Amino acid sequence: MYRASGKTISGLIAVALVIAAVVVGVVSILRLDTTGESGSVLSAEYTYDLGKLAAIDPNLILYAESRPPVGTGFRQSRAIALDTSGRIYVAGDRAIGIFSPTGNPEKLIDLSGEPRCLTVADDGKIYIGVGDHVEVLTAEGQPAASWNPLGEEAVLTGIAKHKDDVFVADAGHRIVLHYNAAGMLVGHIGEKDPDKNIPGFVIPSPHFDLAVSRDGLLRVANPGRNRIETYTFDGDFEFSWGERSVKIKGFCGCCNPVNFALLPDGSFVTAEKGLDRVKVYNSDGGFVGVVAGPAQLGKEGQIKLCNTPEECREGGFDVAVTPDGRIYVLDVTGNMIRVFQKKAAG
Amino acid sequence: MANDKENLTRRHFLREGLWGACLAGAGTAAGLSVARNNPDNMVWQIDPYKCIGCGNCATYCVLEHSAVKCVQAYAICGYCDLCTGYLVPEPKALDTGAENELCPTGAIKRTYVEDPYYEYMIDETLCNGCGKCVKGCLAFGNGSLFLQVRHDRCKNCNECSIAAACPSQAYKRVPADQPYLLKKVDLKE
Repeated sequence: MYRASGKTISGLIAVALVIAAVVVGVVSILRLDTTGESGSVLSAEYTYDLGKLAAIDPNLILYAESRPPVGTGFRQSRAIALDTSGRIYVAGDRAIGIFSPTGNPEKLIDLSGEPRCLTVADDGKIYIGVGDHVEVLTAEGQPAASWNPLGEEAVLTGIAKHKDDVFVADAGHRIVLHYNAAGMLVGHIGEKDPDKNIPGFVIPSPHFDLAVSRDGLLRVANPGRNRIETYTFDGDFEFSWGERSVKIKGFCGCCNPVNFALLPDGSFVTAEKGLDRVKVYNSDGGFVGVVAGPAQLGKEGQIKLCNTPEECREGGFDVAVTPDGRIYVLDVTGNMIRVFQKKAAG
Repeated sequence: MANDKENLTRRHFLREGLWGACLAGAGTAAGLSVARNNPDNMVWQIDPYKCIGCGNCATYCVLEHSAVKCVQAYAICGYCDLCTGYLVPEPKALDTGAENELCPTGAIKRTYVEDPYYEYMIDETLCNGCGKCVKGCLAFGNGSLFLQVRHDRCKNCNECSIAAACPSQAYKRVPADQPYLLKKVDLKE
């Protein structure tokens, strides 16, 4: 009797074990994530959280978008400039698009190559960096001049005109070229020279911008050193400002700021890539506030962060300002022009 | 017999020879095509232009230590002092201190070249393919760091478990004689 009972119990235990094993097996198979839905399940140590870095204190955002964005019509927008009447010029694809101050398309000027930078002079002439050389168009958009090519490695990413001087930033050769208005090369600025205390430009990626400030000095972004440097027209290095930091007051990453513009009071409007941020610094380089961050620059309220290699590669917004202090931001990935205006005090 | 020899004119010989050569060529091409597309001659690889560095490569590989490793395209690298693939977003200093390193396994080695340039190398024995450096380099830098399946380790499973779990469909089959998909230099980009 006891033996029979013991056998029964053993049998029951064996059956229970088999059932348990089957259940565990089935549950394991059902819970197996073969599609990656549950993610890598790596700890925070192994993940790079760009979203966390993108957060900006709302109190620091001093500007708001003043009207709906305007599409540029380009597949790849590159640069933006304004003329004295407030008309908007956008370089992209193989053309220049001209828009009215309110954003209505007015004209499309075809170019011989892909433009990367442009500026509009007081007399209306348009100076454009196209491939390895500068092209000049009349105010009506007719070809006026094509300057000497600068070689295969030239990547012209910034251009500014001041009276009879034209300055061109060549990211490929990491140098600023100083021309006269007729296109004659006057000199080079920024070549590394320890004897003259010139640090040299560090340009890891093709983002290299410049502008002439109202004090008659040349301001040049040195993105690899995360700062803006000041030079005389003769090429003497004067001083620089800029702090390396992912915090809002600094320039983050390997190569920022990518572009900048000057407000009428001499303040700087800077654009950064990686974490797309547009900020204002006073004429001494002191942080003033934020125009827009990833949350403001995203589409339809989404935070703008680059995820795919393509998105990351195309980053690097351009900026332009109007005499009344409005800030135009060219979204090179969304191919849109956004206009920001300072919020009313209080 | 003599008649046969007489019938084999030079024109006949060339025509027959040409046909033979064409058939041999077509056969070789077909054979190569079959061999190239034979599953046995295809291997898994990551398209670096689709990879988003999600981290799944580190945990979905059937191997204990993933066959996916970070590689460096030196021609694309900016040799940055503030390398966002090597340093944490807010480093205490731009140096090789462990507290400043982004890689959780310390798999990236930094070597001074000249001011302000540094070379970055991957120690594959330490890299687990998490892609953290890839994401940092991609977001702020030139994207010179990217992930590749290393075929000295990969078992070339018929159904690659990482490929099934890849959210950006970056995995593809490539010919075994060209097993790597490397990034190309484009100075204009």
